[in-house]
Amino acid sequence: MIPARIALCLLATGTALAQAPPDLVIKNATVMTASHGTIANGSVWVHNGKIAGVGATVAAPASAIVIDATGKYLTPGIIDPHSHSALGSDINEATSPVTPSMMMIDAFDNTDAALYDALAGGVTTELLLHGSANMIGGQAVVIKNKFGLSREEMLFPNAPRSIKFASGENPKRVYGSKGQLPSTRMGNFEVMRQSFEDAKVYRKEWDDYDAKLAKGEKDLTPPHRDLKLEALADILRGKLQVQIHCYRADEFLTEEAIAHEYGYKIRAFHHALEMYKVGGRIAKEDTAIATFADWWGYKDEAWDAIPWNAVMSMHDGIRVALKSDSNDHIRRLNQEAGKMVHYGGATEDEAIAMVTLNPAWIIGVQDHTGSIDVGKDGDLVIWNMDPLSTYARAEKVYIDGDLFFDSSLKGYGTTHFEGVMHTAGFGGSDDEDAEGGN
Amino acid sequence: MLTSFVCHSRRESASALALAVALSIPARTLHAQARMVDTTPPAGVTAITGGKLLTITHGTIDNGVILLQSGKITAVGTAASIKIPKGATIVDAKGMTVYPGLIAAETTLGLSEVESDDVNSDLVETSDEIFPQMHVYDAFHAETERIPIARFNGITNAVVAPAGEDTMPGQDIFIQLAGLDREAMILARDTALAMNFGNEPKRRGKYPSTRMGEISQLHQALIDATEYMNKKEAAAAVKSEPAKDSKDDKDKKDHKNEPPKFSLRDEALIPYLKGEKPVVIGVDEGHDIEAIMALASEFHLKVVLDHVTRSQGVLDKVASYHVPVMIGSIYDLPRANERFDSVYTLPAELARRGVKIVLLPGDAGGPGGGQALRNLPYVAGMAVAYGLPYDEALKSITLNPAEVFGMGATLGSLDVGKTANIVIANGDPLDVRTSVKQVYIDGVAIPMETRQTRLRDEYTPKK
Repeated sequence: MIPARIALCLLATGTALAQAPPDLVIKNATVMTASHGTIANGSVWVHNGKIAGVGATVAAPASAIVIDATGKYLTPGIIDPHSHSALGSDINEATSPVTPSMMMIDAFDNTDAALYDALAGGVTTELLLHGSANMIGGQAVVIKNKFGLSREEMLFPNAPRSIKFASGENPKRVYGSKGQLPSTRMGNFEVMRQSFEDAKVYRKEWDDYDAKLAKGEKDLTPPHRDLKLEALADILRGKLQVQIHCYRADEFLTEEAIAHEYGYKIRAFHHALEMYKVGGRIAKEDTAIATFADWWGYKDEAWDAIPWNAVMSMHDGIRVALKSDSNDHIRRLNQEAGKMVHYGGATEDEAIAMVTLNPAWIIGVQDHTGSIDVGKDGDLVIWNMDPLSTYARAEKVYIDGDLFFDSSLKGYGTTHFEGVMHTAGFGGSDDEDAEGGN
Repeated sequence: MLTSFVCHSRRESASALALAVALSIPARTLHAQARMVDTTPPAGVTAITGGKLLTITHGTIDNGVILLQSGKITAVGTAASIKIPKGATIVDAKGMTVYPGLIAAETTLGLSEVESDDVNSDLVETSDEIFPQMHVYDAFHAETERIPIARFNGITNAVVAPAGEDTMPGQDIFIQLAGLDREAMILARDTALAMNFGNEPKRRGKYPSTRMGEISQLHQALIDATEYMNKKEAAAAVKSEPAKDSKDDKDKKDHKNEPPKFSLRDEALIPYLKGEKPVVIGVDEGHDIEAIMALASEFHLKVVLDHVTRSQGVLDKVASYHVPVMIGSIYDLPRANERFDSVYTLPAELARRGVKIVLLPGDAGGPGGGQALRNLPYVAGMAVAYGLPYDEALKSITLNPAEVFGMGATLGSLDVGKTANIVIANGDPLDVRTSVKQVYIDGVAIPMETRQTRLRDEYTPKK
């Protein structure tokens, strides 16, 4: 027999976007808001998929579905700012070090089992990135983890565009092993500079054309449209958030210098395992980091990794997120946050922000999700206990106020999924394939 | 070394903070010894007092006392039941949890430093598959930076095993994670034989490229070694018989019972054919477990099953073998169309069936497994989250691995007479938020310093 709650959800899905899910109230929970501390015995009200009230009590209508979460914890949905899930074997277009017109959405498989595994770990939003074979890779896709819905319904509405850059060992290994440029860090950065020089020329051609058009000039021939140069020009125009795979302290500084030279901002360094060495300088740039809690030592540029990196960087004034880069770790990012209490003495509120609000900022969706605040999306997770504990399990996961996972249900525990999951047989960390990433 | 400890009488009740202060002193004074630590037991008695003792064998003792002397545990009990000798070094562990050092039952410690660096990695000899005569002690690099880092989270002992690319890659060592040199750190050589079956040992375009090939190859190796062993024993038996027959008969017998040509490979297998030491069989899939167990039972091998993360369909069968099972990584991903927790729940499911389980460190899909070693206690915690009783979880990373590898008499629990490998932490050892404050190996307080703490301190702004 299908519980009434699921039937309702199926109905809501069936009638598509027109009908909002019913109001939802989760009461008596320990509410970890990620933005304004933790509320003991708090309640959260979700109306039309958005958070409409947070506090000791909320003024919800009597018709709302009420979940009594006594003894349980409530957090915003977990957000992974660095995932390659659901991209199958199409993570790296490793045929050229500059491929900015690759659109990750073209590889997105919404039936990938990795999405389900992540959902069961409380993950509601992911930034699906190109791999790190290329100095300038492809454009990311931002998803809401509404496992079971269509491809289109899983896209995060109006999320800003992000592009993946890489640096260091991976590009030089991938192209150096083919006897191509780049095979050194000098080559890596030369490839970038040349790309932006080309983009400057292209951008000027189009800016001149647009200016003439605006002046009302007639019989103009538009310049040739080149997808690659167009994407690079959009970086220079500030239309793409730049997400850079980068490990070493010296390379953070070089990347920032090149960004200044060409006039774009770096949204976040990913991996960033040596940020603790230069955090004070990078904090001034308002560049965030998406780092591992405690991965280390798997390659030379990860040899100086220390598990205190996240908290030390935070104290330097950097916005710090933890990320998975792995179909395994994405299932337990809450524990990775818990490790920050151990390594560096983060408060529980600081730790939870590292897997919710801070990654939301990196993705650029911080006004929509990442904390329990009125007006934000109803992306919520009920945990059986403090989510920073090893023993915590996600019991219910809501996205836009709609229940997508309930561990008490038999079978998968999903509420919208029917059918067959796919798997690429891929662990999800880019280093697993030859042209990898982390 | 001990002078650096704050000694005080039992009446002074130092706070947990005071413990931390006291414990930070040896780390500074022993700076140069953070990697290779002299574990010669100190003179006198050390008393760890006031902590919550997780004994493993006889429950939890609140406000407990442990006495350490000459590298051994000499007393364990409640504060009321233990008399602390005069002059003992008191370590106040009030508010702390005290437990035996954790044992990682499958690691590559000392075989690889930076995992991507093939030149300096000695994980497995892949020029052939049948290599029982490969001894990881020949490659074990005791000075590896990975040992202090594992120790920092409470791991005091480990099995070092070759990686899984061969069907029979070599023999393991059992190590202690501190010692003045590699000889001091290797507690037992050739402690077990590694075997593997399934997809991983397959060779592309070479024999064996299928499971049939793997089993046939292993089968032949075991037959060859059995014949070798029998020949050798027959020859030895004749030699020891007194000469009483006629000269002709004797010549005939000698010829027939000539000892076999010495073979390193076959020699290496003899203790395992006699069932004297465990054979650790790495295998994932349920049907593979049944296939390899058929071969193992034909030769009466003393089996320890290993990995088994795809065994959900044959759990009763696995239990029916009555062999220990090393499970891991429990972070292996479920197959598509399995429930998300199908691997997390394996330890609970096997323990419920009476299987002696050992939990292994490691990530799935991460870049290598060595870096995840320090997270061994969290693996056990995850198994608890998915149904494994807490006491079983603790045993699966302490006493059970000790027993499986023949170290049960000296390691794995807080019992009188055992080696004083002890951990003091500020909370539940299985919780990710807990910090280890002090590790003792052979009763010696080990500097809580690693390459990583040195980097941390170097880049921490000076106040």
